[in-house]
Amino acid sequence: MKKLLILLVSIFFLTGSAWAKTIKIGVAGPFTGPLASFGEQLKIGATMKAAEVNAAGGINGNKVEPVFMDELCDPKEAATVGTKLANDKNISIVIGHLCSSSTLAALPIYRSAKLPAISPTSTNVSIGKMSPYYFRNVYRDDFQGLFLAQYIKKVKNFKKVAIFYEVNDYSMGLMSAFMKEALKLKINILGTEAYTNETTDFKPQLTKFKMMRPDAIFVPGYHPQALLIASQAASLGIKAKMFGADGLDNPTMLDNPDTDGLFVTTPFLVESAGPAAKSFIAKHRKDRGEDPGWMTANTYDAFGMAVQAIKAVGENRVKIRDYLAGINSKENGYDGVTGLTYFDGNGDCLKSAYVKEIKDGKWISAQQMQ
Amino acid sequence: MKQLLDKIPQRQATAGLLICVLILPWLPLGDSTNYILRVLTMAMLYMVLALGLNIVPGFNGLLDLGFVGFYGIGAYTAGLLTVHFGISFWIIVPLAALNGALWGILLGAPTLRLTGDYFAIVTFGFSELVVMTMRNELWLTRGPMGLPGIAPPSIFGHEITLDWEYFYLVIFLLIVVVFIVSRLQDSKIGRAWFGIRENEIAAQCCGINLIQYKVTAFAISASIGAAGGAFFANWFKFIHPDMFKFWESVLILCLIVLGGLGSIVGTMLGALVMIPLFEILRTVLPQELFNARYLIYGATLVIMMRLRPDGLLPFIQDREKKAKQAAERLSDYLAGTRKPEQAIPVSSTKE
Amino acid sequence: MENLLEMSSLFLQQLVNGITLGGVYALIAVGYTMVYGVIQLINFAHGEIYMFGAFLAFAMVTVFNVPFFMAAILSIIICACFGIVLDIIAYRPLRKAPRLAALITAIGMSLFLQNLALMIWGGEIQSYPREALPAFFYQEAIAFGDVTITWIQVFILLVTVIFMATLHFIIHRTAVGTAMRAISQDKTTAALMGINVNRVISFTFALGSGLGAVAGILVGLYYNAIFHMMGFIMGVKAFAAAVLGGIGSVPGAMLGGGLLGVAEALGAGYLSSAYRDGISYGVMILIILFKPSGLIGRSTTERV
Repeated sequence: MKKLLILLVSIFFLTGSAWAKTIKIGVAGPFTGPLASFGEQLKIGATMKAAEVNAAGGINGNKVEPVFMDELCDPKEAATVGTKLANDKNISIVIGHLCSSSTLAALPIYRSAKLPAISPTSTNVSIGKMSPYYFRNVYRDDFQGLFLAQYIKKVKNFKKVAIFYEVNDYSMGLMSAFMKEALKLKINILGTEAYTNETTDFKPQLTKFKMMRPDAIFVPGYHPQALLIASQAASLGIKAKMFGADGLDNPTMLDNPDTDGLFVTTPFLVESAGPAAKSFIAKHRKDRGEDPGWMTANTYDAFGMAVQAIKAVGENRVKIRDYLAGINSKENGYDGVTGLTYFDGNGDCLKSAYVKEIKDGKWISAQQMQ
Repeated sequence: MKQLLDKIPQRQATAGLLICVLILPWLPLGDSTNYILRVLTMAMLYMVLALGLNIVPGFNGLLDLGFVGFYGIGAYTAGLLTVHFGISFWIIVPLAALNGALWGILLGAPTLRLTGDYFAIVTFGFSELVVMTMRNELWLTRGPMGLPGIAPPSIFGHEITLDWEYFYLVIFLLIVVVFIVSRLQDSKIGRAWFGIRENEIAAQCCGINLIQYKVTAFAISASIGAAGGAFFANWFKFIHPDMFKFWESVLILCLIVLGGLGSIVGTMLGALVMIPLFEILRTVLPQELFNARYLIYGATLVIMMRLRPDGLLPFIQDREKKAKQAAERLSDYLAGTRKPEQAIPVSSTKE
Repeated sequence: MENLLEMSSLFLQQLVNGITLGGVYALIAVGYTMVYGVIQLINFAHGEIYMFGAFLAFAMVTVFNVPFFMAAILSIIICACFGIVLDIIAYRPLRKAPRLAALITAIGMSLFLQNLALMIWGGEIQSYPREALPAFFYQEAIAFGDVTITWIQVFILLVTVIFMATLHFIIHRTAVGTAMRAISQDKTTAALMGINVNRVISFTFALGSGLGAVAGILVGLYYNAIFHMMGFIMGVKAFAAAVLGGIGSVPGAMLGGGLLGVAEALGAGYLSSAYRDGISYGVMILIILFKPSGLIGRSTTERV
């Protein structure tokens, strides 16, 4: 009986505190677990923007507070966390989720609760069409894959490429978009091999690549495995260049000298950022001693859009959705640190991509495609 | 505690509990109603799964580590049939159960003659292969892209979308499963199972066809798992191979062990306590600790086996003990240390 | 001609990869096989001891700056003691209980230890900093044509062979080894002959766990990836290797480990890398179903 009482009381307190005076914005992502370093970027972005808004007087005088919900990039956890956010009447918009599979799991819940959400990072193609309540301020995998194929053709002039993908939605979405464009550009795809997030032995696959003698190996995965792939490739004496997409854009890639020369696409590049981003970058450097990552920048902007929407129409979920859907042209686009953001009919947006590479243990801007 | 539990007439207690559960969605719980309902729906889904798994280790004494494989088969059967053919939920659940039973027989028939250890590891291998297939056969399951857009079930043309509707739906499923399992337990099949669990040689001597009964048990267990999976798919409306990891099997096993292996009431109570408990832990514990919650499952399994191998409930232990004594008498008789009139055949332990 | 050369060097390189992996499997597999031999239990937690072996050495090197070889030896000793403790607290009280109880305890222990590691070291993959390791590990030992063998691969094979030979000696030439073999044939009779059964079982656990730790440390070096999940999958695969060779047989575990390692490397190289872990599971299921005694195991009648 006592247990039941504690259960009820704790649930009541955690979900229903109706007397709060702050405006809460849900932020969902993997803040612990194997992808915690991505979640950390989400956290930094949301916290920075919230602090900035509050310093400037908050939303119409009310303080704004990000509510972080951890879901480990596990779709089942994401659904539970999504339910919690959907049932919290104080939450009128969610920033997240980070992984596409989590976003897809939470999406039906948000749709039936009429809760709008902006994902700063989920690039899976199918998200936009599935719910009028989902928006994202990041490009889609098909764009990124196409961009990479054009880049290696035009700038790097690679002719033979091997692909080493992870068995997950992100990696496979990227791979298929890349291959489609590569076929058009007559880039020779020598072969594709798979690994999973629990793989640590990449040698059999890499050995196969070695014999194919590619110009480059495309790794459309996440950084923990890419780091291992780079060092195991080096130990097999593979000389081919490695490149990847935004999943590899992480400071941990610098831990190992074998990643030298690796290049990736990214939606945000410090060197190419517009004037609006200058103070953001300076502040991030001052607080953390390093340049902001792209997820930080995207979250910062997504949070900013949420604040702008609440400012304009109040804390009504449906009105916020309508407001966001109204940001649909260059003229009324949101001018953030990642450039101008506006949504198409599906809630997707078109963003530019940049390329950066690792040189002497540092991420630097690479030659960009004109 | 024991006396207290004995005093309450079981029928009334069950009825009272049922009424409490049925009116729950209409209690004034404020904003958290939906959340509580969802957690309880989850708890009841796990009751269904635990009742299904219970048949193999609980009734037959064999460790089945591949239960999540059947759960996943059920979920994907339901998901794919709904997405591609738009078949009604009410037809899909039996179909998923049948598919589960089919795989149960395919796996069980050759493996159930193995000793317990080999059986456990083969079932583990099977469930991993199932998940691997889900992950890699894109043409069928869309693999790691997951299967989104599963339509909600409908009843007389009314689409089920709200949390309380799912709550009643899962209660209905649970009642059906409890009915089936408890009828089975008291039937000839059930007694044969208990006989197999307590002493295989004795059971065989009584004319019980071991393989046949074990395969039946495995198939029924698999079909209940698959039915649970079918409900899960239609409830979550999105399924993904990551949802059917091996740890789910261990979690379900943990629920059974906590409530008492082989006990229906215990199994259900185990789920009713554990699933909401983890939701509370989620809010109380810091996230780093919460991620390691499987530590508690592991510790539970070890401690329970060491201290209370019959589960936490006292009155169940009683019943268990009777069954065990009966089986012991039987085996003593077979070993020649007891006179025939003292031995009670397995088939009459209940009456 | 060029093509043929290329194909054969691809094959050779995969063979080298496979044999290295197989050596590691064999080291873990003997732990399963020995324990199964004496108490007829799949010690699911063995994979976790392997993981702890890797983590302990890693923690000593990175946190306390212990020289690598020193850390390795310490970690092996700690894991050996750990194996004994595991047996005493988890398995010994259940020796007479139904087998189901011991199996559930084993799986519970495995889960517990795995999440303990998650709690201590977090969920991210850890790697040795390059400076902490002897430099020769990263250099090429032999290279002809396209086939490269690194020093670490040579080191792994060497260590495996040395430990296996020692193990063989212990089992067949020492008193305690004889006692182990006696217990695996008939525990009661062995006890009647004056063998302290519990002490011998403890020794078996220590030996198996120590070798598991060796394997963990080697794998941590080879792939440079240490994480809390590394033990479970590797453990099941090593168990598959033990079954393949014939459970209860130490040479069988070595043979099974080697074969499985090569099969996995060749399978990932020539068939499908997506189903790579499935190869071991598939082999295991087939062997259990059709030849439960394994390749060179003694054939036992199934006891119920």
